[in-house]
Amino acid sequence: MIGLDVGSTTAKRVKIEDGEIKFEITGTHNWKDLVEGIGKEDIISTGYFRHSVPHKASVTEITAARFGAEYYFPGVEVIVDIGGQDTKVIDVKKNNFIINDKCSAGTGAFLEFVANYFKIELTEMGRLHSKAKRIPQINNTCGVFAVSEMISQLVAGYSKEEVIAGIHYAFARRISFMIPEAETIVLIGGTVKNEGMISALRDILNKEILIPEEPQIVNALGALEYSE
Amino acid sequence: MPKIGITALVPPELIFACGGQPYDVNNVIPESKKYPKNKLCAWTAIWQEMLVKREIKIDSLIVVAGGDCHNALVDGQKAAMSGIPTHFFFYPFDGDHKYMESQLHSLCSFLGDIKHPEKFRQIKELKKAGQLIDKKRVNGKISAGEAFRILVSISDLMGDLDKFKRALDIKTPHLNAGIGVNRIALIGVPPIYHDFHDVAQSLDLQIVFDELPYEFVRHTGADLNEVAKDYCNYTFARPLDFRIGFLQKELEKRKVDGVIHYTQFACHHTLEDEILRQELDYPILTIQGDLPGKTPEQIKLRLEAFREMIARS
Ligand code: SF4
Repeated sequence: MIGLDVGSTTAKRVKIEDGEIKFEITGTHNWKDLVEGIGKEDIISTGYFRHSVPHKASVTEITAARFGAEYYFPGVEVIVDIGGQDTKVIDVKKNNFIINDKCSAGTGAFLEFVANYFKIELTEMGRLHSKAKRIPQINNTCGVFAVSEMISQLVAGYSKEEVIAGIHYAFARRISFMIPEAETIVLIGGTVKNEGMISALRDILNKEILIPEEPQIVNALGALEYSE
Repeated sequence: MPKIGITALVPPELIFACGGQPYDVNNVIPESKKYPKNKLCAWTAIWQEMLVKREIKIDSLIVVAGGDCHNALVDGQKAAMSGIPTHFFFYPFDGDHKYMESQLHSLCSFLGDIKHPEKFRQIKELKKAGQLIDKKRVNGKISAGEAFRILVSISDLMGDLDKFKRALDIKTPHLNAGIGVNRIALIGVPPIYHDFHDVAQSLDLQIVFDELPYEFVRHTGADLNEVAKDYCNYTFARPLDFRIGFLQKELEKRKVDGVIHYTQFACHHTLEDEILRQELDYPILTIQGDLPGKTPEQIKLRLEAFREMIARS
């Protein structure tokens, strides 16, 4: 049995062999490579394209995230999944979830917008953040308005690194409104690799933030776990 | 028969008794393709625009303002300013039936007084039959979609008591047998999507309670006095603890497994979500709609995930 997560940008396959997690990640357009030689009855699918790929059973990415996070951190209370198109907060204890998918504020798309503005790679933002000496106050997380605020801060004498740190803090504040009371939070999704973002979240939330060893495969693993 | 537009629950007993034909201006909205220009809540924005442009043809309008919706109060005034004879109707927040009675009397004068007192009893009987429809769907005898369409149409009884009576005769021949698995209460204002109940059912969520339409069917009275005593307990107009107390009993009776709280963009009822979550001891899914049409994919995803959650808890 495999867990197959086919999302909007990447596809992931997870298998458990002798108690060990084996996984593979590829671009969504290559998803077929992941199921070569595997029958439909051996696939539990999840992700945006879960209904379009062969599967024995499918499960939403919300439920898959719960089961996947539970695998790494038994007793998990809150899961925050910051993806490219949306951000999901799953309150496991209360059986509740909030999804922000109406606007890019508070999703990975906003950070991408900022990276584009500075003509840098998204992956560089965390490193630049760590060089900031001061953190300017940026209030807007709407891509369009944030740019004019960033320009004002640059004109006021803040460095690029500092403005990026300010952006991470604005982003973390925005996300914090969605997060319920809990001791610990499990963070998954693409932005998990951005250390600047994570340190801003730690600061703003004042909570313990746990990150799974392989944050990208949590949902594929969760689909597999759900079926069991 | 003059056609009397209503913006929310106004005792249809009284409108029929005064010789009017009630017409709920919300009827056209879920199927509407309009993108209103100046909008907060799409419900009021769309009927306001359609009334002002005379795309909904009525002779006069009753706006439910007090205890219900301030967006309607403002949009209702815009309709009034466009030249539609308009009356503003206020429910008592404290449930004072004397106040309710005085409101009904002033509504009577607006409508030209009671001419057909027999309508009260006729409607009372029809609402009893409507309650049976509600019971049948609680027991899985008819589909949630069909029950909802009947219950929600009780606000104006389709403007025609005979037509409504005929509509009560529904059967769902191919209802699937898996009913009773995930029993859902749908609370808040009704969803703005025209296919919501059918979508929920296709995802194995069986809606066994529709909060607002149930208010439409349960309030009635054999004369003005009885109507005043009964409608003053219209839960949406009363303080939250009153409404929550009522909900708690209803949800227990209907043995629900989970609650879906539908909220409408820019509607003050959204603010109640926090309290409802605190007070109702069930898994709760909150969704928010904005413009009418089909249930969007993102909402379907939430419904599906909610089903997965309930199924495992
Ligand atoms: S959804 Fe809310 S704002 Fe809109 S008409 Fe109903 S009560 Fe008013």
